[in-house]
Amino acid sequence: MATKTATAKPSAPAAAKVAMSGGKSGKKKQFRDKEKPTDIRLSNIEAAKAVADAIRTSLGPKGMDKMIQGKTGDVTITNDGATILKEMQVFHPAARMLVELSKAQDIEAGDGTTSVVVLCGALLDAARKLLQRGIHPTTISEAFQVAQNKAVEVLTGIAQPIKLSDTESLVKMASTSLNSKVVSQYSSLLAPLSVEAIMNIIDPATATNVNLKDIRVVAKVGGTVEDTRLVKGIVLTQKAQATGVHRVERAKVALIQFCLSPPKTDMDNQVVISDYTQMDRILREERAYILDLCKKIKKSGANVLLIQKSILRDALNDMALHFLTKMKVLVVKDIERDEIDFVSRTLGCRPIATVDHMLPEHLGQADLVEEIHIGGGNKVVSITGCQTNAKTCSILVQGSNKLLAEEAERSIHDALCVIRCLVKNKNMIAGGGAPEVELSIKLAQYAATLSGVESHCIKAFADALEIIPFTLAENAGLPPINIVTELRNRHAEGEAMAGINVKKCCITNITEENVLQPLLVSISAITLASETVRSILKIDDIVNTR
Amino acid sequence: MTTTQSISLFGEREKGESVRTQNMTAAVAIANIVKSSLGPVGLDKMLVDEVGDVTVTNDGATILKLLEVEHPAAKVLCELAQLQDEEVGDGTTSVVIIAAELLRAANELIKQKIHPTTIINGYKLACKESVKFIQDNLSVPAADLGKNCLLNVAKTSMSSKIIGSDKDFFSNIIVQSCELIRFTNTRGEPKCPIKTINVLKAHGKSTRESMFIKGYALNCTVASQLMPKSIKNAKIACIDFSLQKAKMKLGVQVLVDDPEKLDAIRQRESDITKEKIQLILNSGANVILTTGGIDDMCLKYFVDAGAMAVRRCKKEDVKRIARATGATFVASLSNLEGEESFDAAFLGSAEEISQARICDDELIIIKGTKAKPAASIILRGANDIYVDEMDRSVHDSLCAVKRVIESKAVVPGGGCVEAALSIYLENFATSLGSREQLAIAEFAQAMLVIPKTLVVNAAKDSTELVAKLRAFHNASQTIEAKKGFKWIGLDLENGKCRDNKEAGVLEPAMSKIKSLKFATEAAITILRIDDMIKIYQPSKEDPNSYANAVREGRL
Repeated sequence: MATKTATAKPSAPAAAKVAMSGGKSGKKKQFRDKEKPTDIRLSNIEAAKAVADAIRTSLGPKGMDKMIQGKTGDVTITNDGATILKEMQVFHPAARMLVELSKAQDIEAGDGTTSVVVLCGALLDAARKLLQRGIHPTTISEAFQVAQNKAVEVLTGIAQPIKLSDTESLVKMASTSLNSKVVSQYSSLLAPLSVEAIMNIIDPATATNVNLKDIRVVAKVGGTVEDTRLVKGIVLTQKAQATGVHRVERAKVALIQFCLSPPKTDMDNQVVISDYTQMDRILREERAYILDLCKKIKKSGANVLLIQKSILRDALNDMALHFLTKMKVLVVKDIERDEIDFVSRTLGCRPIATVDHMLPEHLGQADLVEEIHIGGGNKVVSITGCQTNAKTCSILVQGSNKLLAEEAERSIHDALCVIRCLVKNKNMIAGGGAPEVELSIKLAQYAATLSGVESHCIKAFADALEIIPFTLAENAGLPPINIVTELRNRHAEGEAMAGINVKKCCITNITEENVLQPLLVSISAITLASETVRSILKIDDIVNTR
Repeated sequence: MTTTQSISLFGEREKGESVRTQNMTAAVAIANIVKSSLGPVGLDKMLVDEVGDVTVTNDGATILKLLEVEHPAAKVLCELAQLQDEEVGDGTTSVVIIAAELLRAANELIKQKIHPTTIINGYKLACKESVKFIQDNLSVPAADLGKNCLLNVAKTSMSSKIIGSDKDFFSNIIVQSCELIRFTNTRGEPKCPIKTINVLKAHGKSTRESMFIKGYALNCTVASQLMPKSIKNAKIACIDFSLQKAKMKLGVQVLVDDPEKLDAIRQRESDITKEKIQLILNSGANVILTTGGIDDMCLKYFVDAGAMAVRRCKKEDVKRIARATGATFVASLSNLEGEESFDAAFLGSAEEISQARICDDELIIIKGTKAKPAASIILRGANDIYVDEMDRSVHDSLCAVKRVIESKAVVPGGGCVEAALSIYLENFATSLGSREQLAIAEFAQAMLVIPKTLVVNAAKDSTELVAKLRAFHNASQTIEAKKGFKWIGLDLENGKCRDNKEAGVLEPAMSKIKSLKFATEAAITILRIDDMIKIYQPSKEDPNSYANAVREGRL
């Protein structure tokens, strides 16, 4: 734990004061009224910093995992910042802000959810030191705003433009993101796969944004992560019903939202029988009703039937299944309501709400619908070769157990987000702590051009940025102070691309190691972190309401 | 360190070394439970659950499944055993022991201030190398060893089990049944769907009275004593609905104002079923298997027609019989015209169906199925607990044989592979100049836990025997002329080293490779954890609940 002392050191003088003011004893309340805003601020900062410290160890390619045992006793093992914080159930209101911050980064950029929180923690630490020197929070806040704007400017300056046609660079960036995950050993498979998925759904020449809803990531237990594949079409985790048909070529797919079971009225109803002949009739009517539905489906030419999940009635009763077996129709039931949109868009078919609309033109066409075994006794239904121009695709993520499959799914989501960031903002920068050190130096230079309190605050902001390379080195088992100082030195000599090479445990030109990341991730991390710090600084009272 | 204020959580948090040590302790505790049941002379565990049910077993996966493990890291190990059970079916004990040993070794290294990520890298590298070494040097194509190979694999798998004393007898049964059902699928891969082997348990008589039946044994009896007990050239109808008096659906009300009509309705209720039965019988069926029930009243129609009817069969059983006899599993009699009918094409056929008496129960045995061969094993034993354990042992052996048939490669057992790997990895470690060297050396040491445990369980001198074993393997890897020594493993009955390939102690290569991979993965998963957060269970009493409000008189 030698490394831990190093981080705590700069703030050590502040410790005594915090310990004193941290406990808000009710005894002297009336005499300490003026100090209350300071207390609140410091307690907020402490709480938020504790969150940042909690997830610091999972930053970077050599970061560690957290094991979280939830309320119900289920265990999650992950090193995704957003997931850790979501599961952690923090209750301090200021600490909750950091959880929200991580979520915001997840939505905005999708990656860098850990670094944004770590960065925020470092900035808060800097702010606390400034506060203790008696600088007014508003001044700090404004100075941080200036520093943030300058930082974005600098980052944009060192970024290199990238073309979306440059698949190789895209793959490199996706693998940088994947390398810090549990599934890092499969990054050579998953990174190209993620890039291909995105390229499938956008037009590289004109695209400015990606709708990730067009890529359906499905996790299923069975096989290993190596079996993860991209399917140009749909993968349904529901298995095919036992109609004896498991493979249909040149399929005509009907997506229906009505149920193949005896009708029910909204109100309670009674059928009254007074004669034995009527018993026969009831049975025959029911049979005829179901048969009629099935015949209409068959008549429209459909040979694959997808049925939406239904709660009130059986989506498919035994009788209907029996008829469909005879008609040799592949049936998949329990399609979720939120899957309907994706399925209908991909297949180019209309969801059919009543049997009267069961017309050939509402069917979707696909080259092949097939039920595939994915190992471990699990099956999925894949629909490929859809005859539409819909730009959608699916990724089937497999893993030998639930924990691994879910972690792989989260990792692929992050990789997809990285590519999306590049589509939104076609610039890339180096990874491995290089941009942060560069920023820190540039900001310090900028601070030197100013004078007054603002300059001091910007300098503190610049120093706080070094937390990222510092933590990277620490997590990789390297001496952090040596590494960060050497890094600073190399950058001062003009090597803007020098970063920490965790594989070789030294400092090298990080672009040569293919450690690249999108500009947007860093920009959004810095902006979001500093905005959160500013809003925490502005709070001077917490009122509990019932 | 006063600056790092504890994070405010609805739970407790532990981090750093204490978590690692705690995880390791939990893992080792789990491994210690199963340790003594490893190997041919391993002992059994008796597990008693809260109801008082007793299980006696030697199977790692079963022991760990029945334990109520609390600790999350220990749970990972239990899941590991389950995973090995699903993927391979055998070697569940050894996988847990290896994983725990790897963790223990890693913790020692961490105490010497080696970063966990370095250890993880070393373990990954070592695992990759070991798998390569097994594939290149230690695996033997099953075809080279001839037919005895399968028998030997079955014997090795069951030697540690309760049926080990009768291993010649049981290995024959197992290999016979696997040979019967194996086929080559459309892609030319040999397949052995062991799920189709029906294993039935019946207590009574001795273990040696267990038998193998070429056919399908169904744990049901004919519905009526008046029905024939044996039918040659059976035509089988497999149906999935009840042949009971027709009942109207919910929401259908019968209202009659004339007592005459009531009778007619009753009559009709039974006639509807009668018509169905007639349809089936008219198609020529003389054996009817249904998953539903048959009314006593309806039985007479079958008795009159001289047909055999079996009710309340398990759905899974009927499906398999349908597949084996070529019958269609029918869910309803309605045809596409909206009428009811039963086609003769739906019938399956078998040479003979007969009811046989085994123990107190009677079984129906279907022999000479037309479409696909079927195999059943009936296990006999002194008591239920014994028979249950036999079932698990037979399942393990079936899995082992299946893996050999499908992957066609075996490795010698008895600690041979582990000893060879430990020598190879130690040499490999010294060839590396990086920090991973230490981790790989520890991995090599950890491999030795298997032969050591085997010897300890056999009450022999572990230090001496394992040293001998290592000497042989060292010679085989360094001296060209002594290459043949690489098959040397332990002979635990006599406390010597011997050529286990000759002696016929064989295991599927896939089982060894997978267990290494799984154990390494599990160890890495636990090693990567440096922080554990336990969220408290929310208190059941919600202060704002309705019940609470009423009690406090707020409403």
